[in-house]
Amino acid sequence: MNHQTRVYNDIFEMLPSEENPSPMVRINRMSPSPDFELHAKLEWLNPFGSVKDRAAWAMLREMEEKGEVGHGRGLVEPTSGNTGISLAAMAKARGYHIRAVVPNKVPLEKKVLLKIAGAELDVVNDALCPAPGLGDGSINIAKSHAKAQAKKYAMPNQYENEQNVLAHMRTTGPEIWRQTEGKVTHLFVSLGTCGTVSGTSRFLKGKNSSIKVIAVQPTEGHDVPGLRNVSQLGVSKLFEVEYKLAYARAMELCQTEGLLAGPSSGLIYEGAREIILRDKKGFGVMIFPDNIFKYTSNMMKHIPGLATGNEA
Amino acid sequence: MANYAQPEVLVTTDWVRDNLEKPGTKLVEIDVDTKAYDAGHIPGAIGFNWQTQLQDQVRRDIIGKEAFEKLLGGAGISPKDTVILYGDNNNWFAAYGFWLFKIYGHKDVRLMNGGRVKWLNEKDKSLTTDPPKITPTQYKVTETHLELRAMLPEVMDISKTGKANLVDVRSPDEFSGKVIAPPGMSETAQRGGHIPGARSVPWSTAVQQDGTFKSADELQSIYIQQKGVDSTKPTVAYCRIGERSSHTWFVLKYLLGLDNVKNYDGSWTEYGNVVAAPIEKG
Repeated sequence: MNHQTRVYNDIFEMLPSEENPSPMVRINRMSPSPDFELHAKLEWLNPFGSVKDRAAWAMLREMEEKGEVGHGRGLVEPTSGNTGISLAAMAKARGYHIRAVVPNKVPLEKKVLLKIAGAELDVVNDALCPAPGLGDGSINIAKSHAKAQAKKYAMPNQYENEQNVLAHMRTTGPEIWRQTEGKVTHLFVSLGTCGTVSGTSRFLKGKNSSIKVIAVQPTEGHDVPGLRNVSQLGVSKLFEVEYKLAYARAMELCQTEGLLAGPSSGLIYEGAREIILRDKKGFGVMIFPDNIFKYTSNMMKHIPGLATGNEA
Repeated sequence: MANYAQPEVLVTTDWVRDNLEKPGTKLVEIDVDTKAYDAGHIPGAIGFNWQTQLQDQVRRDIIGKEAFEKLLGGAGISPKDTVILYGDNNNWFAAYGFWLFKIYGHKDVRLMNGGRVKWLNEKDKSLTTDPPKITPTQYKVTETHLELRAMLPEVMDISKTGKANLVDVRSPDEFSGKVIAPPGMSETAQRGGHIPGARSVPWSTAVQQDGTFKSADELQSIYIQQKGVDSTKPTVAYCRIGERSSHTWFVLKYLLGLDNVKNYDGSWTEYGNVVAAPIEKG
């Protein structure tokens, strides 16, 4: 493994760490204030394409260490896409089978990608991002498989697995601290399983308790895959953004900054923009979960003009 | 489960675990998501599909007497058996099944309090994908109780006269007409809103965080004191297709012990499609 020449023995060596962080890129033309340095941390440059590489790897490694996978036992996991894609690619590269239980509303691209990555797909009627606990839907269908066929399936369960939080304490937090040389004042994130926000903020607040952690959530009834609307969480500020702006801002990031960011990144940018106009000074980092490639069908639904003029 | 009017119609998950193998006890799972049973069910439980097995496949109706006899006979159930129903979504369709069993006069039918999610999340409970062993029976229906079911003309009359309580158990947005059905549901109506005179008491008001029913005192306070259901009058519960209202029907009839409670299974997908029927919004 050599991070200078970028020659690796296997794909797993490319996973992000303090020594090999995902890139941070400054926002220029879309900078909301000249006195506020704003950066985007591009998680789609992780080897399996999203921020979920971190949690997926941490969960899988722990299961391997505990001997919970292998010898015919694979994985079953409820996912709105990215965790499943990371887990599926990793699992197949390690020789395990995997079944992904996905809510019906997940974009077609993600469902097909899961199959391409080697997952057996179970599509269920469910909310876009299922809440943990006693609800029904994808989480409980996955739990049913794991409970009924324990010899065949182990369930990482990103919603309740502390490795999801620890992964960000070990990697995302230290990366940001080092990349900003400790100057970070604002962290902007979105909420899915809440692993990113919990782990990263725990690390950064341990270094500097005055860092503001702003969790941006889409308005209720939203259509932004992978994200959750929650009413209570231990963050400095929960900031709600009209979900349709996620798509408009993603488009703007693509066309103005050259950042091919997905809708959740667009949502985070909009939250950051509104906070920065108020706070004026600071040093911000936005964690951009993934890029736009998996969302062309969603973009066509929400951005006028994309769906037309595509045929001769 | 003390204080419920008829506590014998509810069993705990622990009771089910302890009585799984008891002769004369039959378990039936009925889910909203018909894939749930296949993913894993309680050992020995039979699965009924509400779409294909509990509904007439030609006209819009519950299954007829012969079809019910055939279904239960094929599932190895006898009229004397204790039947335990459970399912997903806090027993929505399990409650619908309960109502159907009562219409066809099955004596001893009970709900597993908390449904499949409670069972699933308890460490000492197991699931299996093994099919149950079934010995078919000749099931005979000897009495029917159609008085448990409200039909459209009766509902129209209640709406006009106020001679019975009308309880709308759908979500506040369905009641107000903001949405016609919960997202992703294929059965819908031409119009949104509610039946004039109906009170909004969403079905979920009756359950606790873990999916089990609230205590008799809490239910009494919610339905009678707070929501103003008049216990001296008959009551009709409705929702969209009659499954959530079966849940409230169960609560009102068996847990609170109200006299004369009916389920209007035509519900909003019938009423909201009727030409010229009066509708209230908001």
